[in-house]
Amino acid sequence: MPEPLLRFARVGKSFGGVRALDDVSFDVLAGEVHVLAGENGAGKSTLIKILAGVHPGFDGEMTLQGKPLRPASPDDARRSGISVIHQELSLVDSMSVSDNIHLGRESRRLGGWWLDRPAQVARSAELCRQLNLELSEADMARPVEAFSLSVKNRIEIAKALAFEARVIVMDEPTSALDRPEVDKLFTLVAALRARGCAVIYITHKMEEIARVADRITVLRDGKWVGTAPAGECPERRLIQWMVGRDLSEQFPPPGEGRAGGTAAPALETRGLGVRDPDPSRRNAVGGVSLRVAPGEILGIAGLQGSGAAELFQGLFGSRGACCTGEVTLGGVPFHPKNPRDSIGRGLAHLTADRKATGLVLGMSVGANVSLASLPGVSPMGLLRRGIERSRARHWAGALGIRLASIEQPVGTLSGGNQQKVVLAKWLCTGPRVLLLEDPTRGVDVGAKREIYSLMRAWTGQGMAILLISSELPELLGLSDRILVLHRGSVSAEFTRAEATQEKVLAAAMGSQ
Amino acid sequence: MSKHALSLVLTLCLAATALAGKPRHGDKWIIGMSQCNLGEPWRVQMNADILKAARAHPELEVVFKDAQNDTLAQAAQIGEFVNAEVDLLIVSPKEAAPLTPPVAEAFRRGIPVVVLDRRVLGGDYTQFIGADNRRIGRAAGEWIARRLAALPRMKAGGRARLVELKGLMTSTPGQDRDAGFREAIKGAPVDIVFEADMKWLEPEARKEMESALAVNEQIDLVYAHNDPGAHGAYLAAKAAGREGDILFVGIDGLPQEGQAYVRQRLLAASFEYPTGGKEAVASALRILNGESVPKEVALESRVFTPDNVARGGDSL
Amino acid sequence: MKAAFQIPWVRALLALALVFAIGCLCNAHGAFFHWSTHRDMLRQVSVYGILACGMTLVVVSGGIDLAVGSVLGLSAVIFSTATLHHGLPAFLAVALTLGAGAAAGLASGTLVSRLRVQPFIATLALMVFARGLAKALSGGQKISRVIQQPDGSFSYVDLPTVFARLDARVLGGNVAAVSLVFLACVLVSWVVLSRLRYGRYLYATGGNEDAARLSGVPVVRAKLLAYGLCGVFAAVAGICQAAQEEQGDPEAGTGYELTAIAIVVIGGTSLAGGRGGVGLTLIGAITIGYLEKILSINAVPEASRLMLTGAIIVAAVLLQRRKP
Repeated sequence: MPEPLLRFARVGKSFGGVRALDDVSFDVLAGEVHVLAGENGAGKSTLIKILAGVHPGFDGEMTLQGKPLRPASPDDARRSGISVIHQELSLVDSMSVSDNIHLGRESRRLGGWWLDRPAQVARSAELCRQLNLELSEADMARPVEAFSLSVKNRIEIAKALAFEARVIVMDEPTSALDRPEVDKLFTLVAALRARGCAVIYITHKMEEIARVADRITVLRDGKWVGTAPAGECPERRLIQWMVGRDLSEQFPPPGEGRAGGTAAPALETRGLGVRDPDPSRRNAVGGVSLRVAPGEILGIAGLQGSGAAELFQGLFGSRGACCTGEVTLGGVPFHPKNPRDSIGRGLAHLTADRKATGLVLGMSVGANVSLASLPGVSPMGLLRRGIERSRARHWAGALGIRLASIEQPVGTLSGGNQQKVVLAKWLCTGPRVLLLEDPTRGVDVGAKREIYSLMRAWTGQGMAILLISSELPELLGLSDRILVLHRGSVSAEFTRAEATQEKVLAAAMGSQ
Repeated sequence: MSKHALSLVLTLCLAATALAGKPRHGDKWIIGMSQCNLGEPWRVQMNADILKAARAHPELEVVFKDAQNDTLAQAAQIGEFVNAEVDLLIVSPKEAAPLTPPVAEAFRRGIPVVVLDRRVLGGDYTQFIGADNRRIGRAAGEWIARRLAALPRMKAGGRARLVELKGLMTSTPGQDRDAGFREAIKGAPVDIVFEADMKWLEPEARKEMESALAVNEQIDLVYAHNDPGAHGAYLAAKAAGREGDILFVGIDGLPQEGQAYVRQRLLAASFEYPTGGKEAVASALRILNGESVPKEVALESRVFTPDNVARGGDSL
Repeated sequence: MKAAFQIPWVRALLALALVFAIGCLCNAHGAFFHWSTHRDMLRQVSVYGILACGMTLVVVSGGIDLAVGSVLGLSAVIFSTATLHHGLPAFLAVALTLGAGAAAGLASGTLVSRLRVQPFIATLALMVFARGLAKALSGGQKISRVIQQPDGSFSYVDLPTVFARLDARVLGGNVAAVSLVFLACVLVSWVVLSRLRYGRYLYATGGNEDAARLSGVPVVRAKLLAYGLCGVFAAVAGICQAAQEEQGDPEAGTGYELTAIAIVVIGGTSLAGGRGGVGLTLIGAITIGYLEKILSINAVPEASRLMLTGAIIVAAVLLQRRKP
C-alpha cells in the first residue's frame, strides 16, 4: 500500500447542534480517481467544503503528504495544492481565458505590480495543450463567455493545474455535458491521474462511477459507510450502501399503454420551427412534427445544440412568440406567446436549472409552490395566505417534500426537495401537458425514484409528459416513445421496446 | 427602431435648446451675463433685476448663462462670451482664484467686465459691485442688541437668550454674517443658547429650531443667516405655539421672501443683501457710452421692519 | 436567542435600540425624555419615510429609484401653483399632483421594464429631468403666498386650509398630521407587499426575474406598478413638504433620495431585491429620525454630525447583517 496523499482522520462538523459530518476517516492515494458517493445530505459537500477551506473550524484532522492540513480559507487551501471545481463554475465570464486561469496567481513583474500578460498567455496555452484543449494562443485572449460549458469546464481544470494542485475535487462535473464532451472530460481525468494527481470525483451517475472510479467511498447521513476498490463494488452493492436498502428496480413500469391511443392528442405540432433570437443564426428548431397523447411520456433525446431545450422554450413561449408551424393543445390551435399565456392553457415547463430559472431561492416554500398559480390563491387580487398554506401543505405531503415549515426559505432545502418544490409549483397550475427538462438533475437516488413514480402516477391521471434528460438510462427507462433530435430536426423515433442506448446515441449524433 | 427614433428626437431637442441662447449683433449693445448658480432665489432675483433694468433701455440686450455651481463651467462660459465678441461682460463668479484668469483674459481683449457680488483677484476688471456681508452681519447684531435692550426683562438686568441658525459655514457669506454679528453683540447682555448649521435650507432650519425649542424653555430671538431660515424657525415655533414669545430676524430682504415675511409680521426684521443687478446695468450703460466709472462700488443695504417696509425700508 | 437574531425585524429593532440608547445617554438635559422631542422626530422623518415607502417597493422588485427627491420638488411646485396661484380646490390639486407623480414614476418604470434601461441610469435621467421641469414650471422661484404682479409689485393670497391641515397636529396635539400621512403610506405599502397578488409578484421579480417570468409572473406590469407607486408616494411627500414650508420650492428634496435609500437599507431590506418589507422601512425611518434628532438636540457641529452619521449607519448595518 503506497503512502496516502491525503488522509481524513475522524473528521467531523456540526452546524448549530446538527451533526452534518461525523467521524469520517479514509485515505486518498496519489494517481487515483476516488469517487465520493452518497445521497444528497450525506455529508459530501460538507467534507469538500472542509477540504476547500470554507469551514475552517472542524473536528479531527487532515494530512496532506504526511503534513497536517488545516486550510483557513479557500485561498489557503488552493495554495496548499487543493483545487475544487464546483458545479457552478467559478470563472469570471467577462475575463479572458488566460486571465481566468491565472486569477489569484497572476504572473507579475516589477515588484509584483506589473501584470505580465504575455507570460500568462504562453503558460495558459501550454497548460491547454497538455489537457488536449483545442484552443489557440489567440483564444487565450478571448473572454470565457465565448466558449461552451464543456470547454469552460476544462478551462477550470487548467486553472487548477496552474495552481499546481495535487488534489483536484470535481463536484458533478458532467451534470451539464453531452456524451462526447463527457468522453473528453474522462480523457482529461485520466491525464490528471497519470500526472500523479489525486482526483476526488463526486457524482450521482452509476455509469460514470463504473467508468472512472479506481476506488469508491460512500457516505450516508454524515457517516462513513465504506471504501472499496471499484472492482469489488458492483452497482447493486453501491446503491445499498448509499440508501441503506436494496433498490431492486430503478424505474416504475409504464402505464396501461395508452400511448398512441385514439384519444385526441394532448399536444401536437406540425412543422414546428423555433427562431433563434439572433436573426443571423439558423433556426434552433426547424420542422419538428410530434404528437403526445394524454397519459403518455414522450422522451426527447438529443445532444447539446440539438434544439431539444429550444423546442421546449418555443412551445412554452419563454422567448416570446418565435414559433412557426402549427401547434394544437388538446385539439385547439395554439400560438405560444409568453409563459403566462401558456400556463393558462394547461402547459407547464420545468427548466433544467432550478436555481437560475425555477425557484426564487429567498422566498418561502409556500410562496414558491404558489408562484405559477397565484391568481388561484388571490381572488380579486387579494392574497389569501390560508389557501396558499393549505395548498403548499397538500403538495408537500403528496410529493413527500421533507421540510420544517412551509415558511422556510426554499434555499435551505436539499437539492431533491428543492426539485420537488418546483414540481409542486407546476402541478399547482393543473397542467395537461408537462414539459420536463432534466427533472432529476442533482437529485439523490432515493428522491429520483420517488420522482419517477410520481411521473407515472400523473400520466395515470391523463397528463401528458414531454421529457428531456441528459441521462440516457433515465430517458429509456421512463419514456413510452423516444424522439431523437439532431441539429433541430427529428432524426429518429423509437418505441419503448425498440430503444437502446446505442441506437438513440447513434441517432442523436446524426448517423443513420 | 423606436428607440433610435426616440434618441434622435431627444438629441434634436437638446441641440435646439443649446442654440437658442446665441447672441446676435445688430444696432444693439450685447451684454453677456455669467451667473454662477441659479439654484438660489437670491441669484434668480439678481438676474431678474438685471433683466428688468435692461428692459428700460431698448439699446441693450442681455444674454444669460448659468454655470450651475460649477467653477470650470463658468470659466468656459466666460470664454464663450469672449469668442462671441459681446460688448460687455457682467460676471457673478463662483470662486475668486479659478475665475480670475478668464475674467482678466476678457478684460485684456478689450471687453469691459463688471464683477458682481463676489470678487476676483488682481485688478484686471472694470468695476466691482458688491455688498459687505460682514457689515450686514454687524448691522443685524447692533439692531438686535438695541431691540433686545428694550425688552422689559432686560431693563430689569436680565440676559437675553438667542438662537443662531447659520448658513453653510464652509461658505464665506455664512462666515461673514456670523463674524460681523458676533462683533456687534460682544459685550451686550446676550447669550447664544443654541447654534446650528442649517445649510441655507428652510426644512433644516425648521428641524434645528424644533431641537432648540425642545432644549430651551426660554428663547427671546432667532437670528438666521437667511430669510428662509428665519421663516423655517418661525414655522417651528408656531407649531409649538411659542411664536408670540420669540422675535425672528433674517437676511437677504428679497421682495417675495424677506420683505413679504416682514409685511406679514412673521419676521421682526430682514436685512437686505442687495443683488446689485440694477446698479450693474447702470454702470454698463455708462461704460458703453464711454464714461469712466469707479473701480469699486459698495452697495447700500436696507433694513425692513414692519414699521418701514411699506415705504421701502431704511438705509443702514 | 440566536434563532431570534435571524429574524430581520428583530435585527432592525436592535439597531433602533442602539440609537435610542445613545439618545437616553446624551439626552440634552432631559430634552430627549419629553414627548414633544419624539413627536418632532416623527414629523421630521415623515417626508423621508414616505419616500422610503415607495423606495421599498422598487427595491423589493430589484430596482432603485434615484428620482424620488426631484419628483418631490416637482410635486411641491405643482401643488403650490395649483392651490396658491390658480386657486384650485384642494382635492383637485392633490389629484393633479398625485397624477403627475404617477406619470413620472411610470416614465421610469417604462424605461426600466419595457426598454430595459438599467434602473440606476433610467432614474438618474428622470431625476435630472424632473428637477429641470420643476425649475421651468416655477421660473426658478419658490411658489409662495407672495405673487408678483406684472407691474412688479407683490400681492398676497391667503394660505388655503389644506396647508394648515397638513401642517397641524392631531390627536390632542400629540402627533403631526404628516406623521399620520406617513403611517398611512406605510399601511398602503404593507397591503401592497403582503396582502396583494402584485406584492408577491414584486418579491418574485426581485428575487429571480427569470424564474418569475417563466412562472407566468407579469414582470413588466409588476415593475410598472412599483415605480408608478413610488412616484405617487414621492408626490405625497411633495405635498407634505409644500404644506410644511407653506410654499413650493423647486429645489425641495435635493439629496432626499439618498436618505430614503439609507432608511430602506438600515431597515434591512436588501438592495439586491426580493427580500425585506415596509415594516422594516418604518423601523429604519425611526432609527434615522432618532439619529438626526439626537445630534440636533445636542447641537453637535455639522462636521462631527456627518462623521457620526456615517459611523452609526455602518454600525447599524453591521449589527443586523445576516450571519453566514
